[in-house]
Amino acid sequence: MIYIVTAFHAEAKALIKHFGLKKLYEPSKFQIFSGNDILLIESKEGIVKSSIATTFALTKFGAGSKDIALNIGICGAVENAFSKGDVILCNKIINHYSKRRFYPDILIQHSMKEASLESFMHPVKKDSLPLEIEGDTVDMEGAGFFEAASSFLPLHNVHCIKVVYDFLDFEKIDPTEVENLIKQSIPHIENLINSLLKLNLEFCNNTPEIDNIHLLVNILKNSLHLTTYMTNELESLLKDYIIRHKKLPDSIFEFFEVQINSKKEGKNYFDKLRKILHS
Amino acid sequence: MTSSEKSFIAKHFSHVYVEKDVLSHPVTIKILENLRRSQIVKIDNYKEVFCRAGQNYSLQEKSKKLILAKKWGEFLYPGPSICHNFGYSNFFYISNILNCIYSCEYCFLKGMYSSANVVIFVNIEDYFKEIDAVLKNKPLYLSVSYETDLLALEKIAPFSSAWIEYAASKQNLTIEIRTKSTNFQALENLKPQDNVILAWTLSPQEIVEKFEHGTPSLSSRLSAIKKATENGWKVRLCFDPILYIEDWKMVYERFLNQVFGELNPDKIVDISVGVFRIPKDYLKRMKKVFANEITSFPYEESQNIYTYPKELKEEMINTILLILGNFVPSSKIFVI
Ligand code: SF4
Repeated sequence: MIYIVTAFHAEAKALIKHFGLKKLYEPSKFQIFSGNDILLIESKEGIVKSSIATTFALTKFGAGSKDIALNIGICGAVENAFSKGDVILCNKIINHYSKRRFYPDILIQHSMKEASLESFMHPVKKDSLPLEIEGDTVDMEGAGFFEAASSFLPLHNVHCIKVVYDFLDFEKIDPTEVENLIKQSIPHIENLINSLLKLNLEFCNNTPEIDNIHLLVNILKNSLHLTTYMTNELESLLKDYIIRHKKLPDSIFEFFEVQINSKKEGKNYFDKLRKILHS
Repeated sequence: MTSSEKSFIAKHFSHVYVEKDVLSHPVTIKILENLRRSQIVKIDNYKEVFCRAGQNYSLQEKSKKLILAKKWGEFLYPGPSICHNFGYSNFFYISNILNCIYSCEYCFLKGMYSSANVVIFVNIEDYFKEIDAVLKNKPLYLSVSYETDLLALEKIAPFSSAWIEYAASKQNLTIEIRTKSTNFQALENLKPQDNVILAWTLSPQEIVEKFEHGTPSLSSRLSAIKKATENGWKVRLCFDPILYIEDWKMVYERFLNQVFGELNPDKIVDISVGVFRIPKDYLKRMKKVFANEITSFPYEESQNIYTYPKELKEEMINTILLILGNFVPSSKIFVI
């Protein structure tokens, strides 16, 4: 699943249309849209709200280690090196208040510019720019999103994508302009998503036999009356055996039918099994 | 790596994280000159990146990042008991670089760190200062390539040559640079030093291909060694770790015959021999990230070290020693 967190509906609109998302009518504080293995949540403005919405989405919908979380929205550029509409993948995210810094793991190639992002509680304007500002760009959500998402997902699956909207000199945000800017950034975002999906699919796969080991161990635990300690040892030995031999030992199936009459007997069978699994 | 992997995974060192304190250090400047296309990200402390929670070590191995930092505190560490001291009582090691550009499946670094990224401590001058002070009181035998392969990174950070040049002026210091790299070229213009040992780890080609990902082939390592001995360098051969694989006897016999078919044993200073061994905690951590033939072997534990069962270990060592006996006197062989 790909989790997208935006602050405003204007930021979400183009994504909802492009990915064909439908509004979810579940009781919640948030506007949520979903479809095609994507879930989009609108957090509203601010570090804390972004953090709450991210946590809500990732826990409510049971995010797993191969899932991806993206914060997509507009930002202001401190540096003159950027132009309006530039799509930025943030390589460092700073919470202006806690001074906590976050670093996404950028393991794949992408077509965006990179920059650091500093998140504030209030809109930042040029004439009130704090002296100690560190980010190349500023927003009001990134740090909240990242801190929350990275406590559930591995770092290479959590990213902030920001589109340069202003140079800290804006008066009012124009929703139509925001929607257009996000729309233009979609090819870059899609490209990143595809690469991340490929990365997770190709390189984070367990062998199916190992995924099914738990079931097997449970059967053996019952038939041999194993203690918890023995069960854990058996699970680990079985995994190792499969990794070395790429299959289960043929003789393991004989142990399924065993009738145990005493603790000692169970232990003897377990020792036999251990020996087989050590080979 | 296949070409389809290459097409979407970022290149190694696509990002360089630099501590603000060392931005203007000459070594940093030099390294960044060589990595002009990399993204530079400023950081306060290398641990912010290197020790983050949620890193996926095995994925990071596909796209390692570089971290440039300043070393503080301790510069010298006592040599661990699972390593050879080659008869030197003051055996120490330094960690100028953490992690390696190669990816050997048996490497203890995989169990030591939560990140596959490479950290270079650029302030090499501070190591020298510290060692100067120690050398006033006692001689030192120093492993300078302990948590990395220093020579393999020579093009990025020329530390092997820096250490050799430093050692040249120190009579009571012996350094060992252990490597699998064939980049001897980088040292060719330096004068061989009596107190510098270039130590090459050698494995059968079958093992190189299966477990020592990204490392040069056996034959190219042998060519580099030949050149080094011809140029007058002291060379040590490390048959360590010897790994248990199917047909290990035949594979290692063929391998040792090949090695001494190409190298003159008289030109080799000494040889170290050891089977795979690893601290218990490291193997535990490696198992979580890497499920492979190395991590899944049913090792035996003794004093918090995992290694092959006693009988197998003895058989492996004895077999290797027997073959080595055809080429070198036992006085030249160190076994652990
Ligand atoms: S060359 Fe040495 S340091 Fe590098 S990965 Fe292999 S074993 Fe580890």
